[in-house]
Amino acid sequence: MSNPRLAIAGLVALLALLPLVMRDAYFLHVAVVVAINVIMAVSMWLLGITGLISFGQAGFMFIGAMTTALLTKLSGWPFWAAMPLSAVMAGLISAPVGRLSLRVKGVYFFLVTLAFGQVVSGVFAYFQDPFGGWYGIRDIPPPQPAWLFTTLNKVPFYYLGLVLVLLTCLIIYRVSRSWFGMVLWSIRENDLLATSAGIDVPRCKLVAFIVSAFFAGLAGSVYAAYFGYISPLVFTFEYSVNVLVYIVVGGFGSIAGPITGAVVLTLVPELFRVTGKYQMLAFGLILVFSMLLMPNGIVGAIAGAWQRLVARKGGS
Amino acid sequence: MALLEIAGLTRRFGGLIAVNDVFLEVETGSIHGLIGPNGAGKTTLFNVVSGALPPTSGSVRLDGQDITGVPMQRLVRRGLVRTFQHAQLFPTFSVFRNVLVGLHIHANAGFWSGLFDLGPVHRHNEALAHQAHEILRFVGLTEQQDTLAGSLPHGFKRILQVAIGLAPKPRLLMLDEPVAGMNHADVDRMMALVRRLRDEQGITVVLVEHNIRAVMNVCERISVLQFGRKIAEGTPNEVASDPLVIEAYLGVADDEPA
Repeated sequence: MSNPRLAIAGLVALLALLPLVMRDAYFLHVAVVVAINVIMAVSMWLLGITGLISFGQAGFMFIGAMTTALLTKLSGWPFWAAMPLSAVMAGLISAPVGRLSLRVKGVYFFLVTLAFGQVVSGVFAYFQDPFGGWYGIRDIPPPQPAWLFTTLNKVPFYYLGLVLVLLTCLIIYRVSRSWFGMVLWSIRENDLLATSAGIDVPRCKLVAFIVSAFFAGLAGSVYAAYFGYISPLVFTFEYSVNVLVYIVVGGFGSIAGPITGAVVLTLVPELFRVTGKYQMLAFGLILVFSMLLMPNGIVGAIAGAWQRLVARKGGS
Repeated sequence: MALLEIAGLTRRFGGLIAVNDVFLEVETGSIHGLIGPNGAGKTTLFNVVSGALPPTSGSVRLDGQDITGVPMQRLVRRGLVRTFQHAQLFPTFSVFRNVLVGLHIHANAGFWSGLFDLGPVHRHNEALAHQAHEILRFVGLTEQQDTLAGSLPHGFKRILQVAIGLAPKPRLLMLDEPVAGMNHADVDRMMALVRRLRDEQGITVVLVEHNIRAVMNVCERISVLQFGRKIAEGTPNEVASDPLVIEAYLGVADDEPA
């Protein structure tokens, strides 16, 4: 792989052409779920760069989903206008939440963001009108044009998911490789030294928090439009934990980690779907073995093996 | 002309007065030492002056401007940088990247400029990479630039810390025990570097140090703290012969009249 750009271009082309061969509705459905999970994992990873793990990501996803549901169903907005606004709404709400929760560090930050996620669920569950209460909101209109985005034709949703994943990954990759990204890494490494170098640590963390919430809101919006149904039972704390597991299993070192983790941990349990209740067992086993055998995640393990291979070739 | 003027500075922690009504002036272009027994309040004084801690009372002026209580990350832009007692680095970054982060205040570091990375932004940040190389050459870490900072030997770690502090081009650099735990050769290298910081870069240096030999060699003026108070100040020779200083370091025999 002398040219990673070429490899990525090839992969994207492959993904773009895939529906021409694989028209199976179940396959395309899983692909859309993968897309949503990848967006969530990558967005959580950006904040994770600064050393913070937010358990409120499902909450921001819920806010995005709810915004889309209300705007498209009650106000009759087109999905294409509701989607960006849903992401912006999650970002807007995240600003004060971030200002408050970023005052504390480590475990306390986990707890505050966890509480935030529960509050979002709680508020949406408590108010039947307009949030639908525990029953949630059904019959959320699909994107326009209606003849294209039908329940039976998953191909348009596949492309919607693919485009949004590529956009999200591109943006977050560029940011993580920029000077701002380096600053985020440096905060994770040593926030005191970062401060002494003139870095406004709280502000940088807040920006990462908002961007992270923005993309969680985007994922929520796609979820609402695709499934047509949202409820407080979907955007749970457990889902936030799952997203964290994607990152841990995939690897933290680069953006390839959360992407790989989300893809693998969405696909492999699907293979075990026929086993019914043992599906979660597969998820758990993958988690345990990857922690034991690949402490730097799947991507870290592959990169390490590749480096050893190169070193052996160079040495002999 | 004094670059740094500390007037009546006091910092309490509950009942403990760590820094007690200290007056101190650091001349522009000097290398100023701050010594004193353990617990004398040297590091607290550093923390207050560098904005890591707010003072209880008193004022700090940099080049005539009041900087009392200005937080650390803003002081950097006003020309005051401090280093830390324990080797504070970005351990999994390469040496080069450590210095690059030190150049932060000169960079286009925002989220949007990172996302779009347009021509001028890109070129500007590239130019900073060049500066980082210059700094590494100045401190003599060019060979180690791709090493992970965390795996450097101790002496190099401390030099890298100075390099990070030097990167923002401060007018005043405050070094907290730069040679703690070093062997003789490393101490000499560090002290030569401190002298070159002043001579070649025109940076005024304040350093806290326990290594008396190093302080006596490199500093033009020395202030001595004990129990949070300044008990003496002067040239190295004046300070070394000051009876109060000798008493602070060695104590007084019981049968001697104090």
